[in-house]
Amino acid sequence: MVDHHHHEEEFRLNDPEFNRLNQRLDRRNFLTKTSMGIGALALGALFGNKLMGNAPRPAVSNATGDMEQEILRALPHFAPKAKRVVYLFMSGGPSQLETFDYKPALVNLMGQNLPDSVRKGQRLTGMSANQSALPMVPSYYKFNQHGQNQTWISELLPYTAKVVDDLCIVKSMHSEAINHDPAITFFQTGNQLPGRPSIGSWLSYGLGSDNENLPTFIVLVSKNGQKDQPLYARLWGNGFLPSKHQGVQFGSGKDPVLFLNNPDGYDGADRKEMLEYLSKLNQIQNSTYGDPEVDARIAQYEMAYRMQTSVPEVMSVADEPEEVFELYGPDSKDPGTYAANCLLARKLLEKDVKFVQLYHQGWDQHGSLPSGIAAQCKATDQATAALITDLKRRGLLEDTLVIWGGEFGRTVYSQGKLTANDYGRDHHPRCFTMWMAGAGVKPGISFGETDDFSYNIVKDPVHVHDFQATLLHLMGIDHERLTYKFQGRRFRLTDVEGKIVKGILT
Amino acid sequence: MIVLDIFTFSGRLHPLIVHLPIGFILLATLFNVLSYLQKYRYLRQAVPLILFIGFMAAVLACVFGYVLSLSGDYDADTLSHHKFSGITLAIICGLLYFSSTSMFKEYLRVGDKLFSALLLGLVVLMSYSGHQGASLTHGNDYLTFRTLMQQEREKPATVEQAMLFEDVVQPILQKKCVQCHRDGKQKGELSLESLTALKKGGKSGQAVVSGKPDMSELFKRITLDEGHKDFMPADGKPPLTKNEVKLITWWIKEGKTEGGKTISEIKNTASLKPMVALYLGIGGATEPEDDAGEVAQMINPDLPLVVDTTHITSLRKKGVRVRMMLNKPVMLDITLPPKSGIKMADVKPEMLRLAKNIVWLNFSDNELTDQQLDFLPALTNLEKLRLDKNPVTDQLSDYLVSLKHIEAVNLNETKITDATTLKLKKNPSIQRVYSWKTKVDEVKVN
Repeated sequence: MVDHHHHEEEFRLNDPEFNRLNQRLDRRNFLTKTSMGIGALALGALFGNKLMGNAPRPAVSNATGDMEQEILRALPHFAPKAKRVVYLFMSGGPSQLETFDYKPALVNLMGQNLPDSVRKGQRLTGMSANQSALPMVPSYYKFNQHGQNQTWISELLPYTAKVVDDLCIVKSMHSEAINHDPAITFFQTGNQLPGRPSIGSWLSYGLGSDNENLPTFIVLVSKNGQKDQPLYARLWGNGFLPSKHQGVQFGSGKDPVLFLNNPDGYDGADRKEMLEYLSKLNQIQNSTYGDPEVDARIAQYEMAYRMQTSVPEVMSVADEPEEVFELYGPDSKDPGTYAANCLLARKLLEKDVKFVQLYHQGWDQHGSLPSGIAAQCKATDQATAALITDLKRRGLLEDTLVIWGGEFGRTVYSQGKLTANDYGRDHHPRCFTMWMAGAGVKPGISFGETDDFSYNIVKDPVHVHDFQATLLHLMGIDHERLTYKFQGRRFRLTDVEGKIVKGILT
Repeated sequence: MIVLDIFTFSGRLHPLIVHLPIGFILLATLFNVLSYLQKYRYLRQAVPLILFIGFMAAVLACVFGYVLSLSGDYDADTLSHHKFSGITLAIICGLLYFSSTSMFKEYLRVGDKLFSALLLGLVVLMSYSGHQGASLTHGNDYLTFRTLMQQEREKPATVEQAMLFEDVVQPILQKKCVQCHRDGKQKGELSLESLTALKKGGKSGQAVVSGKPDMSELFKRITLDEGHKDFMPADGKPPLTKNEVKLITWWIKEGKTEGGKTISEIKNTASLKPMVALYLGIGGATEPEDDAGEVAQMINPDLPLVVDTTHITSLRKKGVRVRMMLNKPVMLDITLPPKSGIKMADVKPEMLRLAKNIVWLNFSDNELTDQQLDFLPALTNLEKLRLDKNPVTDQLSDYLVSLKHIEAVNLNETKITDATTLKLKKNPSIQRVYSWKTKVDEVKVN
């Protein structure tokens, strides 16, 4: 037994070296508590509302905190339809023309220049703005009708086509951003510039957790998507919300969550003792400064400790029968692939994780689109459909919302040289397709329409903020009322816009 | 501005200071009266000093009272009564003190009996002045003989029994308007304290015109844009809720601004009843009281509007997850964590207490048998039920047949057979039954 009992004493800064610090802390404490506390209170009472602004409000520093509490107490604003969300983010901008938005008239227009009457002077990216011609090109792949409503779906998505009766396909999405990073940031945070909280963080902040052993917001990035456009951790960041609401990325290697496991030769009991002691230290710190981030840090250490058991358990697919791997496709046995992540997502949803977000990169086909998109679809189609099927048969689609989509669509004209069997497509934010399935959305419908060129929306446009407002609505949140005050302003996911898309709600 | 605020501040101290002279004058009178008894004779000597202190306090109270009166907002008549009686009181108090000094006594002697009588008179005057002051603060009807006689209206038990004006409209006006528009303090020369006063109207015209909300000043003012200068309640006081506005509108338009009628005596009240139910907090059809955004929801009208949260806390302590799905009416989503080891008997009492609030219920993977679930028929508002991965059998379906709102039942990986699906078909509200990995023939279910 080595001597390690000394640290069971109560921790005190009573070392002579700390005397000066102690004095300073005491003085600061005194000044904060008296001058700011009592002083401000008395002043506030003395001068009433004239000096302190119009609305009578307490002059103590936790005024914003109280207001946040009040906002949270009022939640949920509506009876929620969905309890969990899985968002399959197709990063890069999948072409709507080769997947869901069937435009047969283009076959006869192949090679013709995009009419100005259609383009209407809309801006193009720097990549194709200088092209001498903008030749239109139909889908290289055939479309067939599927499901009860005879929905047209591309031959690239045979598995998705089989579950079309569960999908609510929105063909009239539009965004404001024309480049990847601003467009993804816009989708995730409601603003093109980085710094605001991601959708999952807002949900965690607004609704809290349903499983105290796992994070509320979990992110899985496929390893088999072509990494042509980068993803940044800030896309699932908490922005200005308390940091416990940030998305936690699960990897596929030996350590699914980095830095979670104990170092070699260090066992769980040691860990527990260390954490309890650390938490005492943190509480001392917190009693002095009252910083909510200290609370967040304590909570995170405790969560990490619980995750040391819960994560290996949820990551293990050893108990899954062979039939499940067959459903999700051969990739599903290879951890870190999109298919394996879909299977993992189902397991996380079963554990009541509130928001699971998958990212699959590689949808940015500026050139060689026919071969590129075929490979992308092959890597994702079966597992996506399997996730729907699996959730449905387990009864989880009752209260789970599944979302599939990218950050924008692609142009009807070819970027680069158009040949009989090869072309590319540039970024197109004016219309693209997403789909949702499950809790609260109408199954088996298509919503919104684009023109014959899949260039402009002709019916029921759905803006990114509208999508976000609808998502929050399905979770029981009024997007106009979930706010967080930061730097003197109240922020929302939908900023100052967003309309709920009533047409897709059950 | 700061000077003015210090005035306001000290003015508001008047109600505090004013009790000092009251105490001293009462004490002086008490001592004076007691001193007629041989035993307390010596108290007489203290009376002049107490009167002097009382006089000083009365002067101070008058000064603060005057400052307070400058802030306005008071009924002029009552105020002037209070002011003059208060000042008179201070002067008389001072004179009485003066009359007991040796200097005064050289000129004129006031007899003992007369002095006592004057002191008692002072107490009467003080009571009058005090009453006027209290009426200013609390309203003219705060302490009247009518208050003694009046009976509190009991809260009606059903919507039908409620009286439209007395139980609904009047309480709204009482809560949101009467603070400024009352008999004593008639802002805009309008009082909303009684139906008669209400019908008289105010400076801007008729408050209510039977059947014509557009011509009723009351309706106009409460429906203006909140930023409008004529919007009521003014000065940022809490506005009427949407439901309250609707109720008043209905009363003017359809209710013909009448009083004394119960809802059951009025015709065509289909649209009125849910509003009244919501306002009175009696169950029944409801809609979110606040501005709930753009989408109206269909919500089961049988759901209770309230819940006893002690049962929720108790369940949570036992490890059961209780999620609030909606605050009004109260919808609960209850989950037993998988393999929780929680005994059903331990949580059953709370479940039964919360029975009508439970909308979603998840008992998945908890080794539950049919008998342990015998309380399910009490959960009359249940919409979604998950019992997957439990050893339940066909007997369970008996508990589900009577549930009127149940939409989806998850019986995956249980011991059910086709008998369950057949029985559940008898309940028309059930739309989806999950029976994956059971003996149920899947083709037949579809």
